[in-house]
Amino acid sequence: MGPLKGVKIVELAGIGPGPMCAMLLADMGADIVRVDRTEDARLGMGHNPKGELRNRGRPNVAVNLKTPQGVETVLRLIDQADGLIEGYRPGVMERLGLGPDICLKRNPKLIFGRMTGWGQDGPMANVAGHDINYISIVGALHAIGPKDGPPVVPLNLVGDFGGGGLYLAMGLLAGIIEARTSGKGQVIDCAMTEGAASLMTMFYGLKAMGRWKETRESNTIDGGAHYYNVYRAKDGKYVSVGCGEARFYALMLEKIGLGDAQDLPPQLDQAQWPAMKQRLQKIFLTKTRDEWAALMEGTDACFSPVLNFEESIQHPHNVARNAFVTVDGFTQPAPAPRFERTKSEIRMPPSVQGEDTDVTLKAWGFSDAEIAALHKVGAVKQNVRD
Amino acid sequence: MGPLAGVRIVEIAGIGPGPMCAMLLADMGADVVRVDRTEAADLGMKRDPKGDLLNRGRPSVAVDLKSKEGVETVLRMIDQADAVIEGFRPGVMERLGLGPDICLKRNAKLVFGRMTGWGQSGPLAHAAGHDINYISIVGALHAIGPAGGAPVPPLNLVGDFGGGALYLAMGVLAGIIEARTSGKGQVIDCAMTEGAASLMTIFYAMKAMGRWSEERGTNAIDGGSHYYTVYETKDGNYVSVGSIEGKFYAELLQKTGLDKVAGLPAQSDAAKWPEMRERLSKIFLSKTRDEWCAIMEGSDVCFAPILNLEESMAHPHNVARGSFVKVDGIMQPAPAPRFDRTKCEIQKPPSVPGEDTDKALAAWGFSAAEITALHKAGVVKQNPRV
Repeated sequence: MGPLKGVKIVELAGIGPGPMCAMLLADMGADIVRVDRTEDARLGMGHNPKGELRNRGRPNVAVNLKTPQGVETVLRLIDQADGLIEGYRPGVMERLGLGPDICLKRNPKLIFGRMTGWGQDGPMANVAGHDINYISIVGALHAIGPKDGPPVVPLNLVGDFGGGGLYLAMGLLAGIIEARTSGKGQVIDCAMTEGAASLMTMFYGLKAMGRWKETRESNTIDGGAHYYNVYRAKDGKYVSVGCGEARFYALMLEKIGLGDAQDLPPQLDQAQWPAMKQRLQKIFLTKTRDEWAALMEGTDACFSPVLNFEESIQHPHNVARNAFVTVDGFTQPAPAPRFERTKSEIRMPPSVQGEDTDVTLKAWGFSDAEIAALHKVGAVKQNVRD
Repeated sequence: MGPLAGVRIVEIAGIGPGPMCAMLLADMGADVVRVDRTEAADLGMKRDPKGDLLNRGRPSVAVDLKSKEGVETVLRMIDQADAVIEGFRPGVMERLGLGPDICLKRNAKLVFGRMTGWGQSGPLAHAAGHDINYISIVGALHAIGPAGGAPVPPLNLVGDFGGGALYLAMGVLAGIIEARTSGKGQVIDCAMTEGAASLMTIFYAMKAMGRWSEERGTNAIDGGSHYYTVYETKDGNYVSVGSIEGKFYAELLQKTGLDKVAGLPAQSDAAKWPEMRERLSKIFLSKTRDEWCAIMEGSDVCFAPILNLEESMAHPHNVARGSFVKVDGIMQPAPAPRFDRTKCEIQKPPSVPGEDTDKALAAWGFSAAEITALHKAGVVKQNPRV
């Protein structure tokens, strides 16, 4: 059981970063209840809820938040919780009767975690948006991509996940540590714009010192340098090379047959980077990806084959470390990071909406009679796993 | 003062994710001490450490780890710490005499955070590498880039920062919560490969359900669709559009005038995405970025201008929220996320290695006589601020 055993969290079902945050905490052993809607929230998209891996590790309770009994049910869960995760637009929780004032009055040590794209205030606060928009206004998207092309979308790893789910998870745990000493909770305003900006901190520093160019593919680690880049191999697959340090760079050159070349410019001569990239590209085209891997992987040349999902699951290093685990037929990334004594684990596969309503309400202190009464007024719903 | 006031952390100086993790914890109020090498200042790196923003918020102590007394000095600080952060290759801390066995024997409740690219075990554990390599073997790099082109490195946001620093910060806090109950610490093995894999969790799920193509740039949110992508504008700038939901998509069509066109394909008709993209590309090229902002920003199109670092700091939303703050003359991303009661702050600008040696040692319980003796033996070094 993970380190967060006994930490109780209420998650109001949303999309994107909120579920990711809850997944991380559940993987680490937190006792989480996911409060879902009673209406069918599948939106006709034909989703298989069993494959919604972000929902793994915690029970799903369907509650009708439009009924006073439903709201009171959630408040009773929140009364017992260390933390709350919600991702509505600003003001929605307040309108539901679940705002921070009400919740913190009932449970003064509650950490009220609010996950949004733009934050709780500011001119954009009430505007719709997604990851791609949030990372647009903090310089992250602008910096990713080729020099002669448009910015490239890094999936939703920088806003939703890295800059969202992770910042809220970290913030909640910091808040809980403080609340356990002070006895006082608080609100966390977690904006994906600012999480993404925080991830970009180093680049703001480099820029201020004149060491970062605002042109894509013109810096050391944005694809500008030949020694930190991706190359196509003979079979159309790709390899990555990331050797900043002189001794690793020397080893890389040796491995690709340039160890004795007399006409090489200094590694850090930026004017020569484009020419060096072309030169290295020609060389990498002479062998297949796996031939290069046989030559370079495991050495200090800072080399890797660029693998797709299928290949990643089978890579010997990932296999040796059990980096992927299979649960309920789905092979998926294992909980991270790894704790030596209190081991994290995936305690259950993703639940279907309302699948665990009765058993979970019971575990959170509701009597059978109370649960029956909630069903009678349509405040909660128990669904079956199909 | 942030929520982690009173939490004490010893950071053994490294590069990339370790310092970023320490910055996040320091921003949240933790009492972090950075242990630099005595040689660090003499490496001939002429750059001004003021711009190394990942080092902000904590003092730097220069200690010679090759001397017995130096190691004992660090152990005395670790004795008082909730956690230690280190990012050496596996086995180095052990060789220095600072391995987990020794540290945990002296301080049973210590959380020993180990940050590496490949993790503490497995066939690649001892190989050199960088972000671009780590994200290669978990499917992340493969998935990012334009259709038909090479993968594009998303700076080092996915390995070093999102998949590294954030996972370690979260893990260390979870470990501290547990240690404060159980009285027992433990080792955290935080591998960037696995943090990056964890960030990719939903894509593994989508792939398993046949809803993700491993061909870059052909999926809904990897730049493949016309409604979640980047468009060039008349002035050579770019805008992002993320209109996933039907009602937001309708607003996109309305604001681009396409709502008046008969016979448009369904939004989800992937076969028509390239055609629709071409149509929208032409439309977006007809106005400048700022003209599009006037039309779309603040609406529910899910739109944003793509800003560089300079422009991001001046964007009205970021200005209104104070998303960037100026410390020691350098504008930088503010601490994230935001706590409403225990407000985070940048405790100090980045230190020069060894700048705070005497003061920090005194704060960690070393007497003036002890500090003098350490200087005399050449074990610690006090450097001036340049």
